[in-house]
Order: sequence, then structure tokens, then C-alpha cells
Amino acid sequence: MKMIKLILLLAVLGVGTTAAVMYSGVVNVAADEPHSDFVYWILEETRKNSIKKAAANIKVPDLTDPELLLSGGVDYEFMCASCHLKPGQRESDMSLGLYPAPPNLTVPDNNDDIQVERNNFWVIKHGIKASGMPAWGKTHDDQRIWAMVAFIKRLPTLTPDQYQVLTAVE
Amino acid sequence: MKKNLMKTVSKIALVLIPAITLSMTATAHDPSLHVKKAKKADCSKMDHSKMDMKDPVAIAMMKKCMKQAKKSKDMMDHSKMDKQMDHSKMKKVDKKNMNKDDHNNH
Ligand code: HEC
Ligand SMILES: [Cu+2]
Repeated sequence: MKMIKLILLLAVLGVGTTAAVMYSGVVNVAADEPHSDFVYWILEETRKNSIKKAAANIKVPDLTDPELLLSGGVDYEFMCASCHLKPGQRESDMSLGLYPAPPNLTVPDNNDDIQVERNNFWVIKHGIKASGMPAWGKTHDDQRIWAMVAFIKRLPTLTPDQYQVLTAVE
Repeated sequence: MKKNLMKTVSKIALVLIPAITLSMTATAHDPSLHVKKAKKADCSKMDHSKMDMKDPVAIAMMKKCMKQAKKSKDMMDHSKMDKQMDHSKMKKVDKKNMNKDDHNNH
């Protein structure tokens, strides 16, 4: 009996605190005000593990076909570079203004694991909730998305001149 | 007199310092970043001697530039043209046809 009372009390307390936080308006949702380290850690771990699990069984095709770089390059320049930058560029409105910030995809992450390709494919296709990252799978087929994955894989090695040629429309 | 001068100077400083700081952050923001134009691949900078032709990046660049060269040839029928034509003056002609962005399915 005592146990049940205690659990009930805790439940009421939990719901009460949540409601108080929600309705009092104390949570700051401004993008120019970073999360506390603790909240950031919670969100980051949740995102990482969610993507890893969802992407675990994706079959990665051959990504070395040069045609992929051409398709992926044009798409990247047109749809992604504003947020994820291009060789020789260090910041943009989006890279500075968005929170969570879009990662700079032109810097090498020194991770050769195939899981990176799986994660990237999944993120590009499905996007990330409550962040600036859109789900491109609604408007682009898997082939187009794999091409972007292939392009991103080589992006950190590209010079600005190489990038220009690969991503130009013609 | 001196005190007045000091006041004026500090007033000017009060206006100028924030103005300069603000305008400096504004220059960090290049307006050209807002313009999206479809550019042609700049194939003139390619140095074939430095390219590893087994590298997918090099192959892809060659493909793009070959397509571009072919396209600009296809635009004109050279067989019907006067041989005296100065091609160096013809850049404008193919640029007009080249600048179209075919990425309009969004
Ligand atoms: C409006 C800005 C924006 C655009 C446009 C955008 N992204 Fe993102 N992207 C983000 C943000 C923000 C994140 C990080 C989200 C997070 O950390 O929760 C992200 C994350 C990613 C990631 C995960 C990177 C990692 O290391 O976890 C990949 C891959 C990615 N984007 C690829 C792309 C591609 C490819 C495109 C173009 C088709 C694109 N993005 C367009 C904002 C954008
Ligand atoms: Cu697109």
C-alpha cells in the first residue's frame, strides 16, 4: 500500500513538473541561445543512437562510379552547400544561424567505417526532426541520394577548382 | 574650450566605435553568397599532367568537361560558316544557351 502511494506521488510530481515547464514558458527556444551541456548531451546521444539503429541494415552500393560524383555534385551545390559549405568556405548564414548547427561536410572526419555511409544515406533521405536538416527522400529517389553520399565521401578531398567543375550544371 | 573638445571627441567615439564594429561584422557577410547562379564548369584550370586518371574525381571532371566541349560545338553548324570567323569573340553566343539551370523540378 505504501509503495503504491509513493509511486502515485512520484507520477503526479512528474506530470506536474512537465506541465509547469511546458506552460510557464521558461524554456528558451531561441536558436541563438545554445542548450545547456546536459540537454545537448541528451539530444546528441538520442540522435546518434536513433540514426545508428535505423541505418544499421542499409545495403551500401558501390560508390566509386564517377557518374555518381557528377549527379551528387550538382545536387549538393544546389541543395546542400548553403548549410554544409563548400571547399574554401568556412561559414554561411545557415552554418552560423542554425541550431543545431549543420556540420561542415568539407572537413575530413577520419572515419572509414561503412556505417558512416549508411548514416549519411539515412539522414539525407529522412532528415532530422526539429533541426534544419530536411528529408530529401520525399523529392529524390534512392539513386540520387546515394550519389550525394558518394559525393560527400570525396568532398573533404576536393580543391575549390575541382569542386567547381564537378558541381557546375554544365 | 578643452573640456568641450573632449566631450565632442568622446561623443564622436561613442557613435563611431559601435558603427565601425557593426559595419565590420557586416563586411564578413559577402552579399555574393546570396546570389545563386548556374555557372558553367571552369575547365580551363584543369591540369592533365597532375591528374590521376584512375581517380573517380578526375574521371568525373573529364566527363563533365568533354560534355561541355561537345555541347558548345553542337550549338553551331560550322560547315555552313565562313572560315574567317573569329571564335574568340563568340563567347557570348554560347553562354546564353549554357546558363539555363535544368534543376527546376523542385
Ligand atoms: C537548411 C540547412 C540544411 C540543408 C539545406 C541541408 N542540411 Fe544537412 N544538416 C543540417 C543540420 C542542421 C544538420 C545537423 C542536425 C543535427 O545535428 O541534429 C544536418 C545534418 C546532415 C548530415 C549528418 C551529418 C553528421 O555527421 O551527422 C548529413 C550527411 C547531411 N546533413 C547531408 C545533407 C545533404 C546531402 C544535403 C543536401 C541534399 C543537406 N544536408 C541539406 C542542415 C541542412
Ligand atoms: Cu534536387
